[in-house]
Amino acid sequence: MPSFISERSLTGLALLLIGGALYASSFDASYADLGGAFDPTFFPRIILMIWLLLALATLIVEVMRKTPSKPFQALRVLGITIASFLYVLFLTDLGFFLTSVIFCLVILSLLSMRRYLVMVLFSVLVPGSLVVLFNHILTLPLPTSPFTYLF
Amino acid sequence: MLDSIPAALDLIFTFEGIMVLVFGTVLGIILGALPGIGSTVAVAIILPFTLTMSQAPAILLLLAVYAGSVYGGSISAILINTPGTPQSAATCLDGFPMSKRGEAGLALGWSTIASVVGGIASSILLIFAAPQLAAFALNFGPIETFALILLGMTCIVSVSEGSVIKGLLAGAIGVFLSTVGGDPITGEARFTFGDYRLIAGFNLLAVVIGVFALSEVLLRASQKLEAGGGLFKFDGIVIPKLSAWSGRFKGLLKSTAIGCGIGVLPGTGAATAAFISYAEARRSSPNKDNFGQGEPDGIIASESANNAVTGGALVPTLALGIPGDAITAVMLATLTLHGITPGVRLMEENPVLIAAIFAGFFIINILLLPLGMLVSKGAAPLLRLSEAFMLTAICVLCVVGVYFVRGNPFDLLVMVFAGVFGFLLRRQGYPMPPLVIGMVLGPTLEISLRQGLILTDGDFLAFFTGHPIALTLMIVVIFVLSWPIFRSIRKSKVS
Repeated sequence: MPSFISERSLTGLALLLIGGALYASSFDASYADLGGAFDPTFFPRIILMIWLLLALATLIVEVMRKTPSKPFQALRVLGITIASFLYVLFLTDLGFFLTSVIFCLVILSLLSMRRYLVMVLFSVLVPGSLVVLFNHILTLPLPTSPFTYLF
Repeated sequence: MLDSIPAALDLIFTFEGIMVLVFGTVLGIILGALPGIGSTVAVAIILPFTLTMSQAPAILLLLAVYAGSVYGGSISAILINTPGTPQSAATCLDGFPMSKRGEAGLALGWSTIASVVGGIASSILLIFAAPQLAAFALNFGPIETFALILLGMTCIVSVSEGSVIKGLLAGAIGVFLSTVGGDPITGEARFTFGDYRLIAGFNLLAVVIGVFALSEVLLRASQKLEAGGGLFKFDGIVIPKLSAWSGRFKGLLKSTAIGCGIGVLPGTGAATAAFISYAEARRSSPNKDNFGQGEPDGIIASESANNAVTGGALVPTLALGIPGDAITAVMLATLTLHGITPGVRLMEENPVLIAAIFAGFFIINILLLPLGMLVSKGAAPLLRLSEAFMLTAICVLCVVGVYFVRGNPFDLLVMVFAGVFGFLLRRQGYPMPPLVIGMVLGPTLEISLRQGLILTDGDFLAFFTGHPIALTLMIVVIFVLSWPIFRSIRKSKVS
């Protein structure tokens, strides 16, 4: 891989492309052309132009600097990201308590926790106490499971 | 403002008001003491829970968590040599050596008294300075407001650690995110790409929690985790005797003044104030030879300055609607979520609320002394907690907090996206406070610019000809933006 391609220069390039795509979308025919300050895309276009200029400047700086990528626990981050998406997707269907218990166990495992009894206790007690607090004391309910109204 | 004080005290001295002050300060001390959480994450986690409260208790809770967390950072700095918040990094230098000598209680005693003095002085500054500044800004029209908000956004330059360009880019992304949804003038949907859930725009709270709290979890998970360590002997705070203060009062007052002064400048922050104050104390203290080996003057300098910043930073936030740092940006976001428009008219339109904030902030700083003594001993064992448990608990609290506000699953998705986006950007050196500052100030910037252009028939140059205040503010904006360029040119010439 050429030395000027780094994680930082790729991020700069991605931001430049996203900014460019958003700027192009501001010329969509669906927007009313009211002219000047009345135009709904007037202000966003100014901001997107600034975005593009700054992203271009960042990209140039990063390509010139050739900063090497820092190693990191990519699999762990990916695991937590996927677990977080699944957690929020299933939260309303399966209820807060059940999804949170599973989520806590998964995250603690991903974070290399191996004290199983403490993991289980933590995963049950933290969501459980939040359910008691919100659903039964504050009566501001978090989503409950299809199996029981208690949690 | 004085007329509103009885009504403000009525708001504070209710069961809810007192509970909020005590509970918020205790929670702030505990969260601040836990390494890795920090004041911004602490305030962001608590923010959603304020939405069921009325305006005054909600803001007071956040202020209590803010002031408590800045003080709480010194507990872990002194006991385990790991600052709970960046503001307490300078406290490690002399606090931890005192712990190693078996004087952890006394070190925390010096830090507690210094924090209380710094906090009280800054709340007095807030009470006197903010109304003067707000009164000056009352005559501002849309053009002056535009220039003022632009000046506020230049504080992005000072909160952009490492790269100014990246900070400005993050700020531009934040302003753009604020434009998604209905146009404030025509009502037309912008950048929603046919998704009706975006018509109301991105939920500010979901973005704030995502980019600060969730991205912090991902960032820490991407590195080697701390297992939780041992503690030196600590049997509670020992308040220093009055005779031990001999020769230290001058340093305490000087550090407090440094903290107050730096706090008022947008974007400078408590960590900078603590280090500047520490350096000054090291230069001028009669005990300068003992610095770094457990000298109380070092702890006094750092802790009085970082707590003095809290009230100072609230001066431009409450008087002008300009957030000085990430925490005050979250405070402004809270005001917005409670239906209060931050800006130059905030004090005029909400005198009782503002008087309650002033009085409450003063009380919080007094409460730091007894609550600090009570909580620090109980909080110390928490420092042994493994980081894995802390990160997992933060994730669950983020989800509860965001869901709890509107019960909208889409907000949860926005939070996770913001968290991942924030993680990717932070890893590459993009600071996140500018993004939130941009998102908070963006709507006012847009509306004032467009109103100004409508008033001047589209002539942008007319912004400067008939408006001397706007012209002055714009000159300051240009100076602030060009300062890093001059500085780098000068540095390269010297080297």
